[in-house]
Amino acid sequence: MPGTATGRATLGRYRRRLRRWVRRGWHAVAYLWRRSLMFRSVAITVMTTGLAVAIIGTAVMISISNNVYAQRREQIEAESARATIVAQGIFDAATAGEDNNQTELETLQSEAQQAIQSNTTSPGGTSIAIERTPGQSSPQILQTVATQGFPDGVITDELRAEVAKNSGRLSLQPVQLDDDGRREPGLAVGSTLQVPSAGQYELYLVYDLSDAQQTLDFVSQTLSIGGVALIVLIALVTSLVVRLVVLPIRGAAETSRKIAAGRLDERIPVRGVDDIATLARSFNDMADAVSRQITQLAELSRVQQRFVSDVSHELRTPLTTIRLAGDMLYDSRHAFEPSVGRSAELLHTQVERFELLLADLLEISRFDAQAVQLDTEPVVPAALAADIVDEFRPLAERVGSDLQLRTPGGHTTMQLDAKRIRRILRNLVGNAIEHGDGKPVQVVVDSDARSVAIAVRDRGVGMPPEDTARVFDRFWRADPSRKRTIGGTGLGLAISLGDANLHNGRIDVWSRPGAGSTFVLTLPRGDQPAVTSAIPLPELDEPYDGPRAVRQEDD
Amino acid sequence: MTPRILVVDDDQALAEMIGIVLRSEGYEPEFSADGNDAVDAFHGTKPDLVLLDVMLPGIDGIEVCKRIRAESGTPIIMLTAKGDTADVVAGLENGADDYVVKPFNPKELVARIKTRLRPTAGDATVLHVGDLTVDVAGHEVRRGDAVIALTPLEFDLLRALAEKPNQVFTREMLLEQVWGYHYKADTRLVNVHVQRLRAKIEHDPDNPRIVTTVRGVGYRAGGA
Repeated sequence: MPGTATGRATLGRYRRRLRRWVRRGWHAVAYLWRRSLMFRSVAITVMTTGLAVAIIGTAVMISISNNVYAQRREQIEAESARATIVAQGIFDAATAGEDNNQTELETLQSEAQQAIQSNTTSPGGTSIAIERTPGQSSPQILQTVATQGFPDGVITDELRAEVAKNSGRLSLQPVQLDDDGRREPGLAVGSTLQVPSAGQYELYLVYDLSDAQQTLDFVSQTLSIGGVALIVLIALVTSLVVRLVVLPIRGAAETSRKIAAGRLDERIPVRGVDDIATLARSFNDMADAVSRQITQLAELSRVQQRFVSDVSHELRTPLTTIRLAGDMLYDSRHAFEPSVGRSAELLHTQVERFELLLADLLEISRFDAQAVQLDTEPVVPAALAADIVDEFRPLAERVGSDLQLRTPGGHTTMQLDAKRIRRILRNLVGNAIEHGDGKPVQVVVDSDARSVAIAVRDRGVGMPPEDTARVFDRFWRADPSRKRTIGGTGLGLAISLGDANLHNGRIDVWSRPGAGSTFVLTLPRGDQPAVTSAIPLPELDEPYDGPRAVRQEDD
Repeated sequence: MTPRILVVDDDQALAEMIGIVLRSEGYEPEFSADGNDAVDAFHGTKPDLVLLDVMLPGIDGIEVCKRIRAESGTPIIMLTAKGDTADVVAGLENGADDYVVKPFNPKELVARIKTRLRPTAGDATVLHVGDLTVDVAGHEVRRGDAVIALTPLEFDLLRALAEKPNQVFTREMLLEQVWGYHYKADTRLVNVHVQRLRAKIEHDPDNPRIVTTVRGVGYRAGGA
């Protein structure tokens, strides 16, 4: 039937929606639990109080109900005993020795029943039954009588057996009464009556305890309402108390955030002399100390930058004079005697070297003072690498190295500081040619979704791992005794690393004695620092046979 | 006639050394060691070119540059100890034609001076660009009858653009043609001087019609 199918579909949808709500609600609670101290404190308090109230309430309920039951039972026992005695008295008084006839006995029976009725004052009402104890013979037999609506079912065989056994005493048994479908507690009391010339009979009184149950229900209801009210009250009090503590803490958190964001003048207002005020005061003291330190450091850094700038000016002016003088002498060196001419030559080259050193030192101190900024423009990395390779071709030819360029990637523009990237590449290519032992030097540009990488690989002398770790150190040289073909200041790689870091990039090295070295410059495409490279390098202790792009081409 | 060059530098040794270099190249150097005296010295010696140090006692080089430029178009080359962006831009914006970063070598310095002093080719043409008349021989730019005073550098720049109307010049082309750089140089030289030129010749410098920018390429004379 289409209707049923639709109904089932609707039901399924509701169930899914319900499940989603439950999940969402659960997530919200979990989130609050993690994020809000107030929520957590109130929740924990409510849970523990709830548990305590539940335990106490249960204990109270059990104790009260036991008490009420015991009281009722005593009352019922007393009533039953009296009723039994009265009934027995009626039967006994009537027997004057002669045999009573059936009619008389029946009159006695109804008299006894009335007497019992008037002797039981239980508020819940009482049902009465007089039954003949089975298994006896006598001249007269009384019919079983019972009040209207007597619950026959509650008089079990066990109870009857017990009554028969405890002749002359009372037997009690708690029972369930059926009251229009509701089950009510009751108590059945059995005793024996000796009826003249009719033998032993059993008297059953069934008491309805629903009035006691009602009292207990009322008590438990009152206890529950009281408990819930108590829990709500405690939750409110807790949240109030926690607010007292949490609000200042939130204020402190907000203030620290502002201070961290650079608003060093932010402070927490201090009120009173309590613990929170102490916290606020200590926090403010700390903020004072920190802001003093920061101001001092900023001042130091400013002084440092100023110093670098002054040194720059003060050194450069005499150096310019020396340079001009040296060049004048150098230009006319052929007019001097050979030794003076050679001196002019040396002066010329060393002034040049000194200049490079000074420029590199100044650059390094600018990095240290963080006084450098990127001056970016659209650059095609592959084209830039090609320029540098062309620039170094004459030098490579001079030392007999074959300088190769492969550009499987890096053909789209990137925002780069071309001056700095050129400087890095000049450094890497220059080093590769210098340490390449006249063997081929490869420059590879490759890219992936996240980065563009430029690898410079030589197959020259290489370095042991302990040297590889130090190549970016200032003024560090792999082998001080080696002859240098191109002038270097010992700061080149340190500056290159600084330039790469400015671009959020990195320079990785793989090197092994006899197998050569590979330097990979990786530049990220986005603003995130480069973590992976388009030209990955293996660990230092693993062999490496060049960038993947080149290997594939060689195959 | 020997071109006269005013060297404004407080460092005696460097000034003297520059003097030696200039004399060996056939120029006549004059000296001033103080920012306060520099403008007077400029009036007294009437140089063909000024070499101006940025850091000077008294008023600094940038202020001197501004004062000289206010009354004359004489080429000014700044000597700067820093490759500092702020200094360089401040110098150019205040009218310096070019700058040399210390330490420089003699050839570099002389090349810069030569470019600024070279006589412009004397073909007696008159160029028209927009509503301007560029009299190449007379070194004069007129709008109608009104003469617009340009520095020699600004004139060279306008002339280079006006000689080939509607051709797009990259900054590198202009650096080579107007400043005589044959290698990669600072393109800010071009940007700053195009702004200065526009301020003088355009009706609305913010909305240029005569020297227009071709985005991502460079500049050209004539309508976009």
